[in-house]
Parts: sequence; structure tokens; C-alpha cells
Amino acid sequence: MLAVSLALIAGIAAGLLGWVYLVTQAPIVAASQKKTNTALRDVLPTFDNQPGDETVVVGDVTFYVGRNEGAIVGFAGETITSKGYNGNVTVLAGILPDGTLSTILVTQQAETPGLGTVVCERTRQQKTLSGLIKGTKGNGLSPNVVLDQFEDKSAAQAPWSVKKDGGTLDAITGATITSRAVASAVSTIAETFASQRETLLAGNIGTVE
Amino acid sequence: MSFLKPKASSLKPSLLKEFTKGLAKENPVFVLLLGMCPTLAVTNNAINGLGMGIATLCVLIGSNVVISLIRNAVPKKVRIPCYIVVIASFVTIVDLLMQAYAPRSLYEALGIFIPLIVVNCIVLGRAEAFASKNGVVASMADALGMGLGFTLALVLLGGTREFFTSGSLFQIKLIEGWSQDFMLMGQAPGAFILLGIFLGIINWVNIRKAKKEGRTYTPTGLSCSSCNLCDLGGKEG
Repeated sequence: MLAVSLALIAGIAAGLLGWVYLVTQAPIVAASQKKTNTALRDVLPTFDNQPGDETVVVGDVTFYVGRNEGAIVGFAGETITSKGYNGNVTVLAGILPDGTLSTILVTQQAETPGLGTVVCERTRQQKTLSGLIKGTKGNGLSPNVVLDQFEDKSAAQAPWSVKKDGGTLDAITGATITSRAVASAVSTIAETFASQRETLLAGNIGTVE
Repeated sequence: MSFLKPKASSLKPSLLKEFTKGLAKENPVFVLLLGMCPTLAVTNNAINGLGMGIATLCVLIGSNVVISLIRNAVPKKVRIPCYIVVIASFVTIVDLLMQAYAPRSLYEALGIFIPLIVVNCIVLGRAEAFASKNGVVASMADALGMGLGFTLALVLLGGTREFFTSGSLFQIKLIEGWSQDFMLMGQAPGAFILLGIFLGIINWVNIRKAKKEGRTYTPTGLSCSSCNLCDLGGKEG
């Protein structure tokens, strides 16, 4: 009797869970695709394809191909570096077809709050009370002193390093390691792009050796 | 509250009592001190507090109703495993639904604390102490009250922490000149400090009230062996 009633409850619960799982499967995929697309929309020019489905993997870097009406408008290079202060840092960098870097985003990190996160965070500008009353939306990405330094640089100039290492980039005081990690990740993406530019522009997807 | 209507009017006051006790008199966070783990971990802003509170509220309502329905069919010896299966199922359902329909940033901010609702003392506590002994409607009123009380406490803590961290509330900046975040409040130490201050204020108010009425203050649901608040309230009063 004990076993039967417990088994019965577990069985009903399992059936219910299976049903909920089936129902929510599609929305969950859509939600995670939407998240990738939101990040890509921030670093790429306007695109109308699904860059998440069109990826080129070159070494450690994954390139998402952004297309508008079939023509390539830009690439979003993503790489993970283990040089962060606390584990991996994932960097997403937008690159135009001519090799110019556009927006840089850090999509995943576990750096020290208040120090390392200053290098990484590029939150959407916060809505303000007076802005709400006036009806303006705070939607743009907030500036980030470290990440903005890469903007408009050409991928051919890579690698970059922070001033402490004899480079040109400003770092955040107290977060040199995080600044270094980001600089190295962006450099990897840019160098990879520069070396494989022709292959990437040809528009083939898959893995490049 | 339409669920109050079909019952006889004599039931109303007790149902209302079951509902309101969770909000203030037996508030799970501020009075019973249950569910401290999510309370301290996710209340770095008001939206996270609200999200966590609503998720727990949904699980509580589901588990209380179902456990109250099956309370006579479940043999006493296996009731805890049965309750856990029911609770875990509702938590998984809430987890899947949030993953599918809640904003991604909220789901990611709450992270592991959504699955951990399974081991939240409030949920199993209400199942064992209330739903397993009372009817469906009363259990639902109890779950609503406790869940809303928990949500209220989390939003209050989260809102206060968010305000002192960055001068904003529900992600809306109230003080525009607030440029440098006050990190202490956003981190775990701030949660402990603020919760301590809140509990201190609540105890102070209760002790004062008890003194005025000429009795010693006994916190709800606690045995005297576990605290010395009576002494604090009694010595001078």
C-alpha cells in the first residue's frame, strides 16, 4: 500500500512534468535564441537572418555571420578566455566586413563586483524617473571606458595590450587582470578575423582549419 | 476573493485569518525566519525579489492545494516523500515556465535559487503544518497569505538594497546624480546587515507593544528555549 501510493503519485507527477516539458520546449528555445539575437543586435549592423544558425568556427573563435537581404553586413566574433580574475570571460566583438571593430560586449563573466565588472558591464542605460515622465526610453548601451577603446580600430592592427604591458589601452585601476583578459580576447578575435578574412567573406559556414 | 463566497459566512473570518496571518503576524521571513537562503541571496534588487517571491508563491499554492486534496489518501508513513514529489514537480513546472516565458535576465539572475525552492522550509513547512490537516480552500488561503508575505518581505528587502546601492527602484533611477554604486548593499554583507536591521526594528516594535499591554513578548512559532527575547521584554516591563 505504501509503495503503491508513492508510485502512483510519482507516476502522475512524471506524466505531468513530461507534458509541461513538451509544451515549454519550443518557447524555451525561442527565448534563448532571442537572448543571443539581442546581444548580436548590439554588436552587428542591422541584419535579417538568424546569425545563430550561421556560424564559422576558426580555432577558438566562433563567428556569427550577419546578413541583410543576403549580403554580409558584419561578423560577430565570440571567444572565451580563461585569463579572467575569476574564471572564464566570454567576449563578443562586432567586426564589419572591412575589418573595422564595432561594439564589444562581455557576455559572460564572474569578475569581482565593483572592480572587474566595471570593465565588463555595458548595461542598458537605466530608465530614470524624469525620463519616464518625459516619455523617453533609456534603451541605448551605456558607454564603457575599456571596451569603447577598441571601437573603430582595424582588426589588422591587433594584438592590443594595456599600458602596463607596454601597450596603448587604458585599464581600470584595480582591474588590470580583467582588462588584460578582455584585451587578449578581443585581440584573438581580431587576429583570427584578419587571418581568415577572405574565407569568412566567401560566406561558407562550418569549421575552418 | 471569490473563493470566500460560496462558503457559509461563519467561515469567512477564519479564512481571512488564515490569509492575513502570513502577511504580518506569521510573516515567513520577518517573524518565522524561514527561507533565509533565497531571502539573502536574490534580494539585490526589487525585481529579483519580486520574481523569486512570485515563483515561491506559485509553488506554495500548487503544493498546498494538491497536498490538501491527497491528505487522506496518503499513508502517514510515506507522507514526506509524497509531499516532496508534489513540491518538486511544481518547482520544475515553475522553472520550465520561467525559462520559457519570464525575461531571460530575471531567470538568469535567480539561477540556482529557482530549483532550490524545493528545499525552501516555507513550502514543506506549510505542507506539513497546514495543508496536511486542513481543507482545500483553507490551504489555499494559507498558501496565498504565506506566499504574499514572503513576496512582500523580499520586495521590501530588495527594494531597500537596490535603492541604497544605486538610487534606483525596479530598475528605474530615482536619483539621477547617483553615479557610483554603493557595492556593500548589493552584496551579501548588505543583505545580512539590512535583514538584521529589519528584524531589530520589528522586535523593538513588538516588545514595546507588549510592554504597553503589560505582558511579556513571545515571538510566534518559537519555543522559549531558543531565544531570550522574553527576558529583554520582561525585565524592564
